[in-house]
Parts: sequence; C-alpha cells; structure tokens
Amino acid sequence: MKIKIDPVLKKVLQDFSKSYQATRENVLRGYDFEEMRTALAGLKDRALDRNDELLARFEEKARAHGSVVLRAKDGSEANDLILKICRDHGAAKIVKAKSMVSEEIGLNAFLAKNGIEAVETDLGEWIVQSAAEHPTHMVLPAIHLTRGEIAEVFAAKTGKAVPDDIPSLVRVARGEIRREIFAAQAGLTGANALIADSGAILLVTNEGNGRLVTTIPPVHIVLASIEKVLATVGDALTLLRLLPRNATGQSITSYVSFIAGPHRDAQYIILLDNNRSKLLADREFRDVLRCVKCSACLNVCPVYQVIGGEAYAHIYMGGIGTLFTAWIHGLQESKDLAKLCLRCHRCEQYCATKIPIADLITALAEKINRETGKPLWKKMAFDGVMGRPAALKTAFAAARTGRRLIARKDGFSRKLPLWLKKYDRFRALPAPATRPFSAVFERDFVPAGAGRPGAKGGVQIYAGCLIEHFYPEIGMAAVRVLSKLGYEVKLAPSGCCGFPPSNGGFRKASLKAFTALLKDFNGDEPVITLCPTCATMLAKRGPSIEGSEKARKLGSRVIPFSRFVLEREENAVRPMTGEARKKAKVTYHDSCHHKNIFKTEKDSRKLVATALRSEIIEMDEADACCGFGGSFSVDNPEISAALLADKLAAIAKTEADIVALDCPGCLLQIRGGCRRQGMNVRVAHTAELLDAI
Amino acid sequence: MIEKFAEMAKAAGAEVETPGNLAEAISFIKKYLGKAGLDGALISPDLKNRNPFDREFSGLETKLCGCNLWVEAGFVAADYGLAETGTLVHLDRSDEEKNVWTLPEVCFCFLERQKIVPSAEAIESLISAHLSRTDVSSPQVSFITGPSRTADIECRLTIGVHGPSRLVILIVP
Repeated sequence: MKIKIDPVLKKVLQDFSKSYQATRENVLRGYDFEEMRTALAGLKDRALDRNDELLARFEEKARAHGSVVLRAKDGSEANDLILKICRDHGAAKIVKAKSMVSEEIGLNAFLAKNGIEAVETDLGEWIVQSAAEHPTHMVLPAIHLTRGEIAEVFAAKTGKAVPDDIPSLVRVARGEIRREIFAAQAGLTGANALIADSGAILLVTNEGNGRLVTTIPPVHIVLASIEKVLATVGDALTLLRLLPRNATGQSITSYVSFIAGPHRDAQYIILLDNNRSKLLADREFRDVLRCVKCSACLNVCPVYQVIGGEAYAHIYMGGIGTLFTAWIHGLQESKDLAKLCLRCHRCEQYCATKIPIADLITALAEKINRETGKPLWKKMAFDGVMGRPAALKTAFAAARTGRRLIARKDGFSRKLPLWLKKYDRFRALPAPATRPFSAVFERDFVPAGAGRPGAKGGVQIYAGCLIEHFYPEIGMAAVRVLSKLGYEVKLAPSGCCGFPPSNGGFRKASLKAFTALLKDFNGDEPVITLCPTCATMLAKRGPSIEGSEKARKLGSRVIPFSRFVLEREENAVRPMTGEARKKAKVTYHDSCHHKNIFKTEKDSRKLVATALRSEIIEMDEADACCGFGGSFSVDNPEISAALLADKLAAIAKTEADIVALDCPGCLLQIRGGCRRQGMNVRVAHTAELLDAI
Repeated sequence: MIEKFAEMAKAAGAEVETPGNLAEAISFIKKYLGKAGLDGALISPDLKNRNPFDREFSGLETKLCGCNLWVEAGFVAADYGLAETGTLVHLDRSDEEKNVWTLPEVCFCFLERQKIVPSAEAIESLISAHLSRTDVSSPQVSFITGPSRTADIECRLTIGVHGPSRLVILIVP
C-alpha cells in the first residue's frame, strides 16, 4: 500500500486535533468522563444483548405512529427498498442529511444508475459530492479541502465566480441546498438512535439540514443500522449527554430532534443488518457495535492526522473503521488498513463507549493471518525467530559477532543499503551492544545501598530485548538505582516476552515466546519492567492468552520502574548533583503503553522533575506516538518518519537539553532521529536520569 | 437557574433578552422589525392564537410558499428551557411550527422563566409522554441551542448554514 502524505492536509488535521482536544477538555470540565462513558457503554451493551427484542419493540411502536418499518439484510436489499419507495412516491430527487450508512451501501451511485438524483444537504457532504470526492472524516467530511478549492468547486457548480471567504461560501451553499430541499420529493436521514419505547428516532445535528430534510419533502426515509436501537428516552439522553461533548466539544449540538411518525405523507424506516448480526454474535468483536460514531478516535489518531481519511478508510475511517470494514465489506478490504494502526491505544482514552480498538485490531490481524495468509517477512521474523527462543538467542548472538562490520564508533549502525534505506534514513539505528545486559550485570554488578544491601527485599528486573541487546547501560542504571535504594536486585529471565508477534497477529508464536519465558520465572518478588510494551505483555496480554494461574500471578507482580520507585521511594529521590548543577532543561515524551495502559506518565514526570530539580517543559502533543510502533515502522516507514519528524520538532521547540522517556523503543526512534537531524539533545530513560540519587 | 440558562445560551451564540413583561418583549421585536425594514414574519401556530400575540402580531404574518424560500424572521415559543446547556425545548405538534424554528434568518423565541429546568433529565418523562402521543400525527421533540452552525470548511465555526443565523431568546415572566 503506497501512502502519500499531503503536508497541507496533515497540518489541517493536526491543527484540528489540537483545537478539538482543547475544546473537548473545556466542555468536559466539571463532568466525570469516565463515569459518563461507563454509563453509556453499559447501556449500549445491554441494548446489544436485547437487540432483537428492542428492534421488535421499536417496530411495533413506530408502526403505531404510522411509520412503515422495513428490514434489509444487506446493502443491496436496502438500496432496492429505497428505490422502490422513491418510485412509489414519484420521487426523481431525494435530499439527504449526513448518513454514513448510505455511504456504506453506495446509495447515491445506485440511485443515480436508476435515474434518481440524491443530493447531499450537510454542507461538508454537499461539498464532497459537488467535488465528486468521498468524505474523509465522519463528522467533517470535507476536512481535506481548503476554502480555495471549495470556491472553485462552487464556481464550477453554479457557473458564477464565488469569493473564497468562508461566510460567502456558506451563503452560496445555503441558497443552493435550500432550493434542492424544496424541490425534492423525499428526504433521507440516518439516526443517532432508535428509541424502542417510543418508536422515535433521534437526530443530532448542527446545521439544521436534518430538520429541513425531515419536514419539507413529503416523504421521510430513515436508513439506520440495527445496533442503533436503545431502550428508552432516558438512554437516548445519556447518549446525548456525551455524544456532542466527545464529538465536537459542544455541550450540545444546535439541533436535536426526537421524531416519531411521518410528518407529511409517509415515513419509512429501513433497519439495515449488513453482517451486523454476525458481528453481534461474535463475542470477541461485538464491542465494535458500541460505537456511536462520535469520531473522537479519529480526532486523536496520530496516523489519521498524517495521512487523512482518504488513505485510512474503505468507507469507515481509522481504527474503528477498519473493524467495521472487516465485517461489512470483508477481510480483504481491511487487510491494508489493519497495518496502519499503531496500536498506541490513544483512541481508547477518548472513546465514548470504551471500545478496546487497539486490542481488537490485534485480534483482527490474527483473523486476517488465519483466514487470508501471513506476510512472508513477518512469518520469518515472528514464526521463524521470535516464536523460537533458541533461534532468537542465536540471531542476537550472530548480530553481536557481526557488530564490527556494522557498528560505528558512536554506537549507531552504518547506514542500510539499497531498498533498506527507507528504514533508517529518518532515524539512525543502534548497533548491537558488545555484551548483553544480563552478561554485564553478572560481570559488573556490586550490591550497594545505605545500611545492609538488599534490606528492603528482593526485586526482579525484566529489561526486555532492546535493553538486553542494545541498551544494557539503561538496565545497569536501573539496577544501581534500586540497589542503592536498598533492594536486592536479581535478573528476571531474559527472553522475548512475545509482544511483537502478538501485535503482528501471530498468536501461536507469541504464545510460544511467552510460555517459554514464563517457565523460567520464579519467586514472588515484584517484577520491575523498563519497557512498558513488555510490561503490557507480561501483565496483561500474556496472562490473557496463556491463561494459567502462574501467568496471572506473574502479571500481578509486574510494575513499571517509575511507578515502583515513586510508590515506594518518593522521599529518597533527591536532586542529582551533576545534572542539577548544569541546570538541565528537560522535556518528557509519553510512551504509548506507559501512558495509555499503565497511566504512569505523571509518576515519571514527578520523578524526573525531582531528580533534576527542574520543571518539565511540556512539548506539544507529548502523548503523540513517536512513530516507532515495532513492526509498524517496517510496514509504514513513511508514516513513521512523519510522526518522528513531528516529535523532533516538538522537542526542538522546547529547547530542552534532555528528553526523558520510559520506553527503549521510543528511545531508539527519538535518539536515532536526533542523530540524523544533528540535534544536540540527550535522550534518556527515566532510570538513567535517576542513576545519581 | 435563569442566569445559568442565559450564560449557556449566549455561549452557544444565542442572544438573550429579559424584558420585564410581554408588552416589552413584543415592543422589542417590533422595533427590531422596524429597524430592519421588515413588515412580516413566520409565526408559530401555538403563538399566533394566543393572547396577546393574536392581537399584537395580527397583520404581521408572512406565509411560506414554494416560490419564496427565504423568510427574514420567525416568532416561536419554547415549552421549556434547559439551564445546563442553554437549550430551548419545543414539543412540536405540526409541520408548520417546526419550520418556523428553522427557515427564517432570525428566530425570536419566547420562553417563560418558570419553564426553565436544570437539564433534559428533568423533563424525561414529559418527552417520553409526548413521543407516545397518538392524538398528534407526528409528535416531535426539538432541542434548539443557539443558531445554526457549521465547521465544515477548514474547521472554522460559521453561523447560519441552513437554519437561522440569529436566535433571540426573550425570557418573559
């Protein structure tokens, strides 16, 4: 999949993301977002459990109001029903309010083929329709077009010159669209919810076109997917409390309509399945159906902001769109899209219904591998090497042997040749360490600490592959810190945790790696991790796929380094003498799993600030992914490079001397980026910065 | 609660007036029409048959027809106000009144101050009951908050895309 990055679109999307986050934060002030979304997720789950029953009740109530309710098992049936309605009512033109479901079934093209004109009335949709393009955002369909481009589209459509200031463009659209609405014989809308107890639909809009489309033309057609049904008006109000706040940062949209029954001649409500019943019956994936299409996930998705909705969509966009695509349009259509998800989990912090999007994409990757075949390089890397602990050990030993050939004096590797260039021109890759961390530990470690060494009990350090084979100095820094604080430091087993194959959808290889590692774990001391991704595997994903009591116990012992130190030893962290004397300016990069899985970002900031006796200078979008993402940066080097460039620009803007972070993967990416750009910034793990207390 | 309603309505872009009585409110509207050189408006059916609006607004009513899609002003009355969001709530009973809220450039809305409630949840049962009515052909409940808006072009907020570009709320005793 060739990705083209448009710098203008990227800037629009990134600026929008920043303003969205600020507006949303403002509108949610004084509200408990977690409580609100837990309530909404709960009622959506309950409604999905009772989907058949609630749909039947909705049908009964809507019919009592005089509505005609029709069921469509797929897009083709829905299109046929709409065509028949249009023909029965002599409608040669229909006007539409925004409906992603109508995009899903290709309604406009189908009607056009059958001689019926479908005109969009939502401004953004009308713009993309007039430009003969497709929506690239669920809430802001024309976000990819500038006002100048839109003025050209309007001029071509109206045959008149159109000024390119936004109010003038809106006036032109108002006039044109209103004429279309008054000329149409039918209006089509979606529904934000179907309310079973009253047979009413809920429409949430800002522009007012929804009201006009439902009241001016004589016939109103509602096209809604079956998961939209809710039990009561109260449930709809719970949705309404969160949907606009999370979607656009508004306390409520300009127009909210609860509509029961036909306004004029007739109202038809088409309930579309299109494989949703199968999705509903699938326990692994059914959480997808909790989606209320608020687009918050897109608004904060680092990849979406770089490539936009044209590249990151089939019809539905982003990570959640990939999941819908797999079920609605098929696995093949979702194959390339699934590789675009960083699995950074940022979207999940914003999701209105707590959908575990990243984990579901991992499950989807497994399904794709299982049902459509595995990519060769991943098969070799994950099944061939990472899923076999002995082979992985041999591979790293071979890399160390060949170190002389590839290493430079500064610790980075020589540049990669030929087609491999794209993987290391935006970041210098590290050379393997001369000795792995475990060997350095055995050779060099001398227990230390005030009073009796190890008086506070034992801890095990799990460093992870990057520290073991590339950055042993980080491991040793953590060892010294913990030892000085009075802990007896032991090494945990040093194999691969199984995360990379797991993320690639190689469940068996992942399980093999995790099981082999688990076998070597002993004792009951805390397991301190220096890599939040490994921590995620050991604490959460591993126990979940392996399922044994031993794995569960191991999971409960896992604790990230910075949380352990802050929880147990906050008072012992004193300003470092060396760094503090230099008055180092420090900024902090949030590693995805560190922040989004373990919520430890505040712990690290506090530790680093205390140790360096320095305020953290916050960078822009500190929690935006640096673009590493493991195999993501191999699948998508262009996007990885763009994300890294943004991260480096944010770091440079702070004028910091030190970038602190907690993940060796981010360290590889950011340190390598700084090296390529000649930035004189120290990129250091929190453990290294504490290594002088 | 009235202050909260006014604050939130203004934050959503509505204009809020608090005339001392109905006569002052009507005089405010007439002055506005006079200044704008307008001699008519769409009038909501539930307003035009009610005292004193029937008398005061007689002769001001404009009818909507197919050839005239543009209406400068509309007069409506809200059934409730939601303080939490500055929202006007209308229990719609006919098509005609729905359009008075949406089609004009400027919409003037009367809201009795005792009809302001804290949030939508306070009138949940009334909404349910209205939507279940069978004596009305198409019961609808509308929440209107500020003027029509869009951010579809370059994410810039622009007012008045399909509905009114001004919403003037007259909170009356």
